[in-house]
Amino acid sequence: MMVRSPRLRGNDTVATTVATPTDTEPARTTAGIELRGVVKRYGSANALRGLDLEIRDGEFFCLLGPSGCGKTTTLNLIGGFVAPTEGEIWIQGRRIDTLPPHKRPVNTVFQSYALFPHMNVRENVRFGLKMDRVPRVESTERVEEALALVGLEDYGDRSPAQLSGGQQQRVAVARALVKRPAVLLLDEPLGALDLKLRQRLQIELAQIHRDVGTTFVYVTHDQEEAMSMADRIAVMNDGRVEQLGSPEEVYRRPVSRFVADFIGDSNFFAADVAGPTATLADGTCVPCEGGRSGAATLMVRPETIRLGGGEGSIAGRVVHTSFLGSYVRVAVETGAAEAPVMVALREATLVPAPGETVSLSWSAADGIVLEAGS
Amino acid sequence: MSASAETAEQPQAVRAHRRGAGIASYGGFIPAIVLFGLFFLVPLAIIVCYSFWETIDYSVVHHWTLDNYRYFFSVSAYVTTMWSTLWVAIVATAIAIGLAFPFAYWLSRYVPQWLRLPLLVLVIVPFWTSYLLRVYSWLTILGEKGVLNRFLQWAGITHHPLGVFLYDRPAVILVLIYLYFPFGALTLYSSIERFDWNQLRAAMDLGASPLKAIFRILVPQIMPGIVTAVIFVFIPILGEYLTPQIVGGTGGVMIGNLIVNFFQAAEYTRGAAVSLLIALFIVGLLALFRKSLSTADAYGA
Repeated sequence: MMVRSPRLRGNDTVATTVATPTDTEPARTTAGIELRGVVKRYGSANALRGLDLEIRDGEFFCLLGPSGCGKTTTLNLIGGFVAPTEGEIWIQGRRIDTLPPHKRPVNTVFQSYALFPHMNVRENVRFGLKMDRVPRVESTERVEEALALVGLEDYGDRSPAQLSGGQQQRVAVARALVKRPAVLLLDEPLGALDLKLRQRLQIELAQIHRDVGTTFVYVTHDQEEAMSMADRIAVMNDGRVEQLGSPEEVYRRPVSRFVADFIGDSNFFAADVAGPTATLADGTCVPCEGGRSGAATLMVRPETIRLGGGEGSIAGRVVHTSFLGSYVRVAVETGAAEAPVMVALREATLVPAPGETVSLSWSAADGIVLEAGS
Repeated sequence: MSASAETAEQPQAVRAHRRGAGIASYGGFIPAIVLFGLFFLVPLAIIVCYSFWETIDYSVVHHWTLDNYRYFFSVSAYVTTMWSTLWVAIVATAIAIGLAFPFAYWLSRYVPQWLRLPLLVLVIVPFWTSYLLRVYSWLTILGEKGVLNRFLQWAGITHHPLGVFLYDRPAVILVLIYLYFPFGALTLYSSIERFDWNQLRAAMDLGASPLKAIFRILVPQIMPGIVTAVIFVFIPILGEYLTPQIVGGTGGVMIGNLIVNFFQAAEYTRGAAVSLLIALFIVGLLALFRKSLSTADAYGA
């Protein structure tokens, strides 16, 4: 079904889709996309507060965050639908923030797909090439290639209304990729689909990304989606990038409580840290990573907590256990934290009963020290 | 048990009802048929008959002839008036729709929801005043002592009041645009309002300039609305008679004025013939539009 098509590789043909920029400033960088000090204000509200971001050529980059964090604004800034209040945007060494949307080497897959209902699938995909005045023979070939890339080669004559949500989403991807953009922007493209289909399309999108080698910038509020596809994730909060890194880095080494809370499940303890030891609210001393001292927030992932252990463990009473298929979640009430501590257990045989008293422990490397404060 | 028996019998019952009721089942149509017949078919039949009869000494004689039509086409002034009527209608419709489109576009894309209704009401407000009054009000704007002339004199552009604004075809076109703009604006607004603006963003994202995006993506999808707007504006303008009468002078005469003149001169049969010519023309036009309307529907727009 998937046809590997090297012809759709984006980067070599960008020149044909980019108009000559009007300003003559020399290129400063050859990064895929570079945002320099980008600020966007709506009236007095700050949507983005000074964004510096470098997206590498050919990478699958995710902008992840809750609604209102500025991720969609960032996408719209790159796409040209919103003008920055301050700052510059560069794509492959070319400044683009002064260009209108139709002159940028960027194409977008919209959340609502925005397919043209008065055209059939093939005409939808051809539209962008028509606008570029690509000769008929070549455009026909490229349209068929793009449809094959998304597995819709037999659907060219259908009207968008005759397609399922997943198929419409694939048409939107084909329509954008047929132009061989330097950058493909995806605005929560799977948001409207059900979970199973979403998971399948995540794999397909990652595959398409490998096939075409174009830089993908993907906006989502779904951490699982970001983790499953992205090379790197920018976790955004309140108009700022809170953390930038690979999915593993962001999960294992969150830099703030916000990131730790937004990505995956976590337990937080108010703690007083001195070296590799943290003193919790109830006076127990637990191991933690070293390097910082003073008041801090200690973060421990549920799956790194073990039941049992002597020195450096906290005591608690099991209040609830839930069987979640691949693991069992145990909620333990302790004196060390207000909320019950969540523990994820892989081995079902070790599950304690509610009411049982247990002790919890973890290794020093799993006790992540974050800045203090709620 | 009883439920399945019921469903099995139902079709038969319906059929029996249809067979038995016969003409009675159409009883509900009688008021419509009477109204339609009395107020539309009978007058139309009279006009059709009149147009093929003769007027002798101010009275209609039941003598079948094509003279009325022949007469109309034999007088070059009448034929010229016919063409100029068509011309005025086309120009006024084009400009009225040309103004209504950006207005409807702006209203449905950029105006916040709460402000739309007040603005639409403002568009409709003129309908609450008399049609005659609205046409007459233009005399106080375009006339020799009108607002426009006073302004020009005040601004020192001219020293004498100018008579060029009134009593000619441009004045007729201007007033017609004013009168029919609301029809176009309301019709277009109701069809643009449902448009998904993301499609225009997508078109621009794919390389279309803003204008190209509008004409390739928006316009084809609201074609039924545009056709309706054209029908609502063009057809009434074809039959306009008061506006050219009041602001048109001799240069702005339209075919409606001809018909009135014929009837006032008691030349009923000639007037009927001209009326029927307009009616035939409009029917032909609607047939043409009907085709474009149905193809637009086929796209599911």
